[in-house]
Amino acid sequence: MSVIWLMIPIALAMAALAVWAFVRAVRTGQLDDLDTPAIRAVLDDDEPTPIPESLRE
Amino acid sequence: MTTIRANPTANTAPSCDLSAATCAHCDLPVPRGLIDPAQDRQFCCDGCRTVYAIVHDHNLDRYYPLRRQLEKSKAKAAPSASSYEEFDDPAFLDRYTTDHPDSTRTATLLLEGVHCAACVWLIEKLPRLTRGVLRADLDMRASTLTLRYDPQVARLSEAARTLASLGYRPHPPRGVLRDQLRAAESRTQLIRLAVAGAIAGNTMLLALALYAGMLEGISEPMRHTLRFYSAALGLLALAWPGRVFFASAIAAVRTRTPHLDIPVALALFVGGIWGISNTLRGTGEIYFDSLTALVFLLLVGRFLQHRQQRKAADALELLFSLTPTSVRLVDEHGTVTTRPIEAARAGDTAEVLPGQTVPADGVVTSGESKLDNALLTGESTPSHAREGDTVHAGATNLTGTIRVRIQATGEHTRVAQLMKLVEQASSAKPAVVQFADRIAARFVVAVASLATLTAIVWAFIDPGVALEHATALLVITCPCALGLATPLVFTSTLARLARRSVLVKGGAALERLANARSAYLDKTGTLTTGSLRVADWTGPVEFKPLVAAAEAGATHPIALALQTITTLSPNQTIADIRQHDGLGLTADVEGSHLTIGSYELMTRRAIQLPDELLAWADEHATHGATPIFVALGDTARAAAAITGDLRPDAATLVRDLTALGLDVAMLTGDRPDTACAVAARVGLDPRHVHAGASPEDKLSRVVSTPHALMLGDGVNDAAALAAADVGIAVGGGAEASLQAADLYITDDSLAAVPLAIRASRAALGRIRLCLIVSLAYNSVAATLAILGFVHPLLAAVLMPASSLTVLALATARPGWAKESTPCP
Repeated sequence: MSVIWLMIPIALAMAALAVWAFVRAVRTGQLDDLDTPAIRAVLDDDEPTPIPESLRE
Repeated sequence: MTTIRANPTANTAPSCDLSAATCAHCDLPVPRGLIDPAQDRQFCCDGCRTVYAIVHDHNLDRYYPLRRQLEKSKAKAAPSASSYEEFDDPAFLDRYTTDHPDSTRTATLLLEGVHCAACVWLIEKLPRLTRGVLRADLDMRASTLTLRYDPQVARLSEAARTLASLGYRPHPPRGVLRDQLRAAESRTQLIRLAVAGAIAGNTMLLALALYAGMLEGISEPMRHTLRFYSAALGLLALAWPGRVFFASAIAAVRTRTPHLDIPVALALFVGGIWGISNTLRGTGEIYFDSLTALVFLLLVGRFLQHRQQRKAADALELLFSLTPTSVRLVDEHGTVTTRPIEAARAGDTAEVLPGQTVPADGVVTSGESKLDNALLTGESTPSHAREGDTVHAGATNLTGTIRVRIQATGEHTRVAQLMKLVEQASSAKPAVVQFADRIAARFVVAVASLATLTAIVWAFIDPGVALEHATALLVITCPCALGLATPLVFTSTLARLARRSVLVKGGAALERLANARSAYLDKTGTLTTGSLRVADWTGPVEFKPLVAAAEAGATHPIALALQTITTLSPNQTIADIRQHDGLGLTADVEGSHLTIGSYELMTRRAIQLPDELLAWADEHATHGATPIFVALGDTARAAAAITGDLRPDAATLVRDLTALGLDVAMLTGDRPDTACAVAARVGLDPRHVHAGASPEDKLSRVVSTPHALMLGDGVNDAAALAAADVGIAVGGGAEASLQAADLYITDDSLAAVPLAIRASRAALGRIRLCLIVSLAYNSVAATLAILGFVHPLLAAVLMPASSLTVLALATARPGWAKESTPCP
């Protein structure tokens, strides 16, 4: 069980790292707009495929 | 957004005309070679066929009508003819754009008419449409576009014109600084929330180990270490994210206003001190798991409330940006130049053309005109302005050109001051929040006296545990659930309503809606569809081209209907057309007077109405049509009957509102027989019809009725909507409507109105239930603590249990949401 003496500080350090990463993300404005990026990812960037010449009138 | 889809109006029903077949899934035209005459559904490709099969096989066919409804329902902003020259002025660029080292510029613009994902797609394609635009990033919620462009290649006005031609009119964001401050505040809150959450989670883990140790046994050094870690984390939570509660409580004590933060701060402070002293002594209970969870949950509630208020503020911001961006300045030589509004100073002279909005407060120096002050005063009858009269920014110049010596611009104008007042009113706390604050005042007194009493009584029974029990009482009765319930219920209700096409200004509006007792409905555009048509015509046909030509410039729904009366052009020339608001128009036709308008206009101008024309008009009026007379000279010669089609769900609306216990009445400027005919068709008692009401009558009636709900068109009834206890706008464009109304229905259906009322009532009921549950929990917990029964483990279970109960109660799907399906 003596490993717990080491595990608790490591766990807390990892939590601190996660908090630091989050704070950095907030400060650089990554969480300012939560709606638009979600939509942007879904939107199709490609132009619609043109109808092949052979099938046209 | 019809601009995006190739064929938005195509239907998915089997088509007989196979040459025009569209894909049953994507609505795009099906190539000839792929049309299968044996099938009743056609597909443009195998992909669509597969998707259709999946949707159909899972009984999800409702997707198609919903999608079509979503596409057509959104009001489109009209493209504007403005050239946006002022966007290239140095003063404008200086204020609203920033330079980059690589000689590119970034501009921030507010856009009108952004509603959906398709808008994001289209607007962010701007670099492809305008040469020189490098990047376009849209924030959909705030309707703000950030543009990166190369000033050597493109001018900002070009990008602005492209946006306007797509239907998204750009405006400079007027409150840039304030917006940045708000964004910074929002970020700080998010960081506090994250830190508090992480600390609460980790402290909980440590506490779990301690409780397990209490039951199973734990080594003494390990117990001390875990307690020290808990204390360190707990102190961090109190000192960093928890600091706001102390600051707010101190401010509340100073101003002697009851606030929920006072008992919270008290619990945190006493719990924290007691916990530290127990940690150092190595015995007794520490409350850091409960305290950190408390800080986190309270911050969640605060964050939600802040976001809601910010949304209301954003809508106002956009409105302020709708006031004019350019001004026609006249220099000492009399030369007129168009400059951005920022370039105008007090003492300058500005020219205002008919149809333009007055850009600043000032005094008329030359010219004479009629001004529409509806934005400022809610008064829709135009006022006369001549030399020496004061005019205000935001007024629309209707008839003549005037020159104005500017006295105040920007933030100092009356309209800006007014916006400030409206904003203050909209950020005001809903009464139910004030109620929670009032509870807090009694709560803090009760808890503090109980804690003192407990300490004194236990000091006689067992001095060793007296302080222990008093602290337990303070911590366990902390009003966490009380602080969470209200913002949570409001936020979840507003979000659910927004998904069902109802936009609500804020929690306060929702509360007033729940308390509404009577409902006034407007006729035109609300019970009937907005567009009118000419149902019948009597009199010589040669008047038709005259009428259509005379009405050509006007925008009133009746004028729009009359414009379509014929496609022929008149042989005579029409000159000097004058609009008489709400009555009709007069013009000059080769020397004789042409008068087109209502019965009232005819009597005012002393025009004779032949008996057979009057009889014809009365006959049509009893069937719900509005008669419009046409007179040449001093005798009326012809008449047209104008009707609007009844909305299909108008009768259902009246029935639903009555079933909800509201006194429903109709308020219209139309003539009594027309109004009564419509009332009969929607099932409204003719005694509840207030016809012939002028805008002033509407206003005074709505103001004099307590708890009145006004349902109307966002444009024509703006004043009454704003004055009513709750104003609901149907149609008329989101931005303009939300200015006046508290609720805005974004789709064409009226069914959302009773739904919103039921939702608001359910929300208030939920809040009351949450308050009762949390107070009941607190009484039980307080009793246990006073009697000394609060085992630390019990406290650790009870505290989150109460918060979770309230959380579940506040966010559980209400009955009204189960019955109606949200938009996809």
